[in-house]
Amino acid sequence: MILHLDMDAFFAAVEQLDNPALRGKPVVVSGHSARSVVSTASYEARQYGVHSAMPLFQALKLCPHACVVPGNRRRYQEISAQVFAICREYSPLVEQVSIDEGYLDVTGCEGLFGSPVDMAQTLRQRVAKETGLTCSVGVAPVKFVAKVASDLNKPNGVYVVTPESLDAFLVALPVKKVPGAGKRTVALLDELGIRTLGDMRRFPLSTFTQKLGQAGERLYALAYGRDAAGVSGEPEEAKSISCESTLEKDTTDPAFVYARLLAQADEVAGELRRKGLFAKRVTLKLTFADFRRITRQTTLTRPTHLSGHLYAEAVTLFDREWTGQRIRLVGLGCSQISHDEATPPSQLDLFGQVARQEVRDEGWEKVEQSVDAIREKFGKYAVTRARVKK
Amino acid sequence: MKFKISKKDISTILGRVQGITGRKSNLAITANVLIKGEGQGISFVATDLETGFEGHYAADVEREGAITINAKKLFEIVQNFPGEEVLIEEIERQWIEIKNNNIVYHIVGMSPDDFPDVPRVDEVTFTRVATGNVREMIEKTVMIQAPSDEKRAHITGVCFERIQQADSQLMRMVSTDGRRLCKVDVEIGQEDNFVPGESVIVPKKGLMEAAKILDKEEFVEVGVKDNYLIFKMEKETVIIGLLEGDFPEYEQVIEKDDAFDIEVDRKLFSMMLKRMSILSSDSYNSVIFNFAANRLEVTATNPDLGESKEDMAIAFERDEVEVAFNPKYLIDTLNVINDERILVNLRDNHHPCLVEGVDEKRFLSIIMPMKI
Repeated sequence: MILHLDMDAFFAAVEQLDNPALRGKPVVVSGHSARSVVSTASYEARQYGVHSAMPLFQALKLCPHACVVPGNRRRYQEISAQVFAICREYSPLVEQVSIDEGYLDVTGCEGLFGSPVDMAQTLRQRVAKETGLTCSVGVAPVKFVAKVASDLNKPNGVYVVTPESLDAFLVALPVKKVPGAGKRTVALLDELGIRTLGDMRRFPLSTFTQKLGQAGERLYALAYGRDAAGVSGEPEEAKSISCESTLEKDTTDPAFVYARLLAQADEVAGELRRKGLFAKRVTLKLTFADFRRITRQTTLTRPTHLSGHLYAEAVTLFDREWTGQRIRLVGLGCSQISHDEATPPSQLDLFGQVARQEVRDEGWEKVEQSVDAIREKFGKYAVTRARVKK
Repeated sequence: MKFKISKKDISTILGRVQGITGRKSNLAITANVLIKGEGQGISFVATDLETGFEGHYAADVEREGAITINAKKLFEIVQNFPGEEVLIEEIERQWIEIKNNNIVYHIVGMSPDDFPDVPRVDEVTFTRVATGNVREMIEKTVMIQAPSDEKRAHITGVCFERIQQADSQLMRMVSTDGRRLCKVDVEIGQEDNFVPGESVIVPKKGLMEAAKILDKEEFVEVGVKDNYLIFKMEKETVIIGLLEGDFPEYEQVIEKDDAFDIEVDRKLFSMMLKRMSILSSDSYNSVIFNFAANRLEVTATNPDLGESKEDMAIAFERDEVEVAFNPKYLIDTLNVINDERILVNLRDNHHPCLVEGVDEKRFLSIIMPMKI
């Protein structure tokens, strides 16, 4: 059996937990600019029709008295880690799919912790007790059904689909509830008179492969409760770390982009250092005003976790690629991440440039470590680069 | 224009200019070779706007004139011609006929008026140098090539010096890529009209082209004037535009303390390095050398492939030294040293390592270790 755990209105709930003044009020976690979108709305705000991914101005139209808070990703991560630590006590097979949801394959754990339904209840109670937040859990024999189920008794509930009730559940399940079935798929199937997975069973497989290709094949298998996806154990280590931001307004001012890249380099490098990682590849992402998007990357000679290095590479890429277009979004990322700095020996140079660079790097290493320590204690904005505006 | 030339001669000449005409420049016409027929001979001119080639040869000129024609195509055509002779004629404006018995080609040329002038440098004082020495000097220094995206003059070019010493005079070329450096000296005889002068930086690409003409004659005239380095032979001249920039102060790097000399057999050492470099890849390109009492142990480790180890007996009586090198750099050096016994001058694991022959001191190679 598979459990799907989903935190209830996670970001908003954390804000309400940390700030009692927000409790019982409609809370919207979002950026503050006119172009921001809602990342999470509390249940109080949802009553007004506010939902995630809605542009903020629209949300404020629906619910003018909503409290808009900027969000604190580190705090969310902290709690997320706590929640998944609890999950791992119940099964070795835990797949975290995002900051606030994950799957547990509890097959074979019954002897230790009781039935899957008992486990779902214990899990929900322990999360509530230890973090002060509520979550919903879906229990089902198939992965995608577990996800659908966790949504059915939200918030703070458990919904169970037993192997015996699975077939009936699938037959009645609307196609639009199936994860991965988008608007286009739903509309296409609607033309055939298909609303539920049960309806799908009345057609041969070829109908769906012709219309939807591989997605059709998958959907058809799901209609019979065959989900190829299993719970894939420990999540793999981060393959990349990146940071991007849509500018308040489109710009053609390189200085503005540089400042943004510097802030992002700081963010990404900080993340690397926090995790004790080094990155060897730097990626620059730009979206222009016409929504055309480019990504360019470069490989460093030695892995780094210094913001100065990431910044310098990003700027070089930017200077080479940018030909005066209006820029809408800037992003900086790094990949080819490893745990250690250069393990293979690195070439020294004859005229001492490398050695001088190393001395400089050592200095910066100290600076950035100190900055990390200060931020740890006094908050993210306690020290920033002079060019970076809060 | 109309002339007749032996197939062998024209093939040789065109072969020499392919490097120049094959290089992209801002002008499309530089892919062409300019051929001028005047009096008793014809001349061939090629340029990539940095390096120019000019050669004058005997040919049977029936009608004077000038044409430019794609050098690569003309080369391919004449190379595959049967028989001994090739007849080339401009039959109409820029419409060139190449024929011999029953074969005929008509090729479109470009106007000779559009062909860029190869710089004329007058009143150059030339020094006479043995062709073989100059060629050796070039070949050994251009061995250190610059990456294609490199822009710094001291890496894309070779430092060329004319040094007057108390009892001798010499020409020297020094080449580096920032990690290794090599220096080749050529002594100039008293009667060869030596002119000392400032150091200049000569593009490696141009030098490679110049080396191609240094094959037949015994001596070549070498001169520097007005930002050009000129190699002049009886029939052919190569003129190379100098690069602007500063060459790093390398004297300190080549200073040597004999106390650190280790003598090894070139062939054995080279074979050992080749075995060790089998496991090297782009990310793991180092070999670790452990010099201990009379024994050198070499290990190569590549986490993606595996490891290898080898040792050899050497004369070494100092404290143990552990140092890493890119084996390719050492192999390159050993390949161009003429001596069978070599000296590896190794101070420690972060100072440049000097390599030279035991007897032959004209060539010196310096390689920077890798940081372990």
